[in-house]
Amino acid sequence: MRNPWAQTGNYRTSYVQDTTIFANYREIASIVLLLVALCILPLFLERSQVLVLNFILIYAIAVLGLNITTGYAGLISVGQAAFMGVGAYTVALAAPNLPFWITLPLGGFTAAIIGFIVGIPSLRVKHLYLALATLAFQEIFVWVVGRSPALAQGAAIPVEMRNFLGLEIGFRNHNYFWYYVILFVLVLMVMAWRNLLRGKYGRALIAVRDNDRAADAMGMDPGRTKLVAFALGAFYGGVAGGLLAYMQRAVVVEEFTLGRSVALLAMAIVGGLGTVVGSLLGPAFIEFLRLYMERLSEWMKSSAFIQSITPAGVDVASALLPLSFGLVIVLFLIFEPRGLYNWWRLLRSYFRTWPFKY
Amino acid sequence: MKQAMVLATIAFLGLAMAQGRTVNLLWSGAVTGPTSDVGGPYGTGIEDYCRYANEQRLIPNITLNCTVRDDQYLNPNTQRIFEEALDRAKPAMYLGYSTGAMLQLKPLINEVKMPTLPASAHIGLIDPPNNQYMFLPVSSYSEQVVALMEYINRTDKNAKIALVVNPSPFGRAVVDHARRAAQRLGQSIVDVREVGGGNLDNTALLRALDAAGATYIIHQNVAGPVANILKDAQRLGLNRKIRQMGAVYTGGSDLIRLAGDAAEGFLWASSYHTLDENTAGINLQKQLAQRYNRNADTLNSTNYTAGMLAAAIAVEAMRRAAQRFNGRIDNETVYQALIGMNGPNAFRPGFAVSTKAGVEIDFTRTEQTGAEGLRVLEAKGGKFVPVTDPFTSALFRQVRNP
Repeated sequence: MRNPWAQTGNYRTSYVQDTTIFANYREIASIVLLLVALCILPLFLERSQVLVLNFILIYAIAVLGLNITTGYAGLISVGQAAFMGVGAYTVALAAPNLPFWITLPLGGFTAAIIGFIVGIPSLRVKHLYLALATLAFQEIFVWVVGRSPALAQGAAIPVEMRNFLGLEIGFRNHNYFWYYVILFVLVLMVMAWRNLLRGKYGRALIAVRDNDRAADAMGMDPGRTKLVAFALGAFYGGVAGGLLAYMQRAVVVEEFTLGRSVALLAMAIVGGLGTVVGSLLGPAFIEFLRLYMERLSEWMKSSAFIQSITPAGVDVASALLPLSFGLVIVLFLIFEPRGLYNWWRLLRSYFRTWPFKY
Repeated sequence: MKQAMVLATIAFLGLAMAQGRTVNLLWSGAVTGPTSDVGGPYGTGIEDYCRYANEQRLIPNITLNCTVRDDQYLNPNTQRIFEEALDRAKPAMYLGYSTGAMLQLKPLINEVKMPTLPASAHIGLIDPPNNQYMFLPVSSYSEQVVALMEYINRTDKNAKIALVVNPSPFGRAVVDHARRAAQRLGQSIVDVREVGGGNLDNTALLRALDAAGATYIIHQNVAGPVANILKDAQRLGLNRKIRQMGAVYTGGSDLIRLAGDAAEGFLWASSYHTLDENTAGINLQKQLAQRYNRNADTLNSTNYTAGMLAAAIAVEAMRRAAQRFNGRIDNETVYQALIGMNGPNAFRPGFAVSTKAGVEIDFTRTEQTGAEGLRVLEAKGGKFVPVTDPFTSALFRQVRNP
């Protein structure tokens, strides 16, 4: 190819080219640019704004995991928050004795083991029935934590890290420090995700999702594939939970309830199931929606006009957030089932082929 | 001429500074979302007291900027709102809300040395570690439950008690203390059940507790689930067999509104005065509710009183800080003012009952509970009336740190 930077189509001629992590140089350049932008972004933001970014990036890691289980393997999971919780509690218990670069993978591996076990019903049941099995795990997790004195019965377990390689971490730089750690972990996880899914295991996931009996007939092992999908998805969740524990300085069970699992699933759907870009766009969209709805709800609650036209006993402001969440998910499922990723794809395609339409 | 202009500018700036100094006070809580039946009136109470404080110039030369934010009962929102406030307009004091969020924020609150008065009365908030800047406006849930057990013991020795608690750290906070208190009082805890919202039929629960021999149920919950249990107990005829009672957020006008006549006889531990009493705080509450056009539900809510009390403590601490530290009002001086609020300097706003020593609100560096007095009230004829004098649970102090 004479000029790889001007590449406008797919010129792959071999299997090796077909399985490259990056499609072309322009993709590499755009990712580098994005990373540079993300690295300098906190310089222009307040601490509390960086906190919002931290939440988005942590949820992005959890959604990446959900995209392996649900997006790629087609196994509906409503227990991702519980996997986050397993990671968070592992980190909380290990943090007093171990450094964070050990506790984080430890949280991930613990969640992966639990994920493997939770995935066992997937060998026998599918679709809604499997979703119910993961729902049961979600509820069992909250129940067990609530009755475990070792886990403070769901009340806070402090997770503090005051020093990293001589750098004092305190109120002033806490959010910034964890932003860069989370970003680094996210990049690693995305790379691992793409690396994993470009190979035979990634294709096996798709094959099992589309038709597990056909996949079986072609020599794949659907059972093992499903279990590993659950374990991998849970690993991502566990790491995300561990990061959340450090970032919030404490672990409380309320962070890992069914509501959070549903929110993560909503992020995956809105972002676009089975895509990296969707795993980033979904959490960002939902978190910003939450922020704007919060403002709108506060305004509605304080507006005399809104209060005067609302029937007594009807709390519209309270209903706004769940209503907007539900509406967004339904609208996406009806009008854009491929999620925000598809808008991103169309936009990118427009600029790539400009000035031509195709 | 030039000199005169400089002098005039300095005089103008000085006047502006003297007149326009603003001090920030932050509250974040569930104005909407889960528990907004508590958070709504609580936030309104804070808002109204702040307006009143500004109108009356309770802190001379200071305008109080009260920010009331809705965290929708979501911990990440509480964290963001708190940090946003620290970034933009550092409050001199923080009035918090939910148990989970407050427990989670404890390390940060301690690090930034922010005096905090949460709506939650979870004892873990003032237990170490990271507890230095946390202050409970009224006695803890654990103390309220132990006080109810002491009340039972006055008339019924060796009582069999069941605990029905919210399935959360808020609910579970009391269980250990109740068990220890039961041991000392010779009572037995026959069962501990967790019941949250959506408990539409409690037949199985009540039959099980009856079968276990429980003659008393102590609730640590919010009013909704308790009201459903009371109605079911009435339907099953168990209201005559099992006496029910609960800690501060179980009772009040909300319970009577939700449970109707099934609430009759319910015993409620509370540190707050009722609306029928003639105290300075309650009179002010009535006056402000009328002045700011608050509806009857808000006026009747104990959570409205609770919000006012929290704001009153904050405003008083700021006033004293300004007086003691030459007008300097920040988190450090307000903390000093708070821990100096004791003995002859105790605060008497008239929202809560006083102890036998005549103290309504006091704090020290190590005693971080404001109103230590509480009463047991009984629902009679559609309202709660006190059936005991104010008292402080001596037993709780023994079981807190055995």
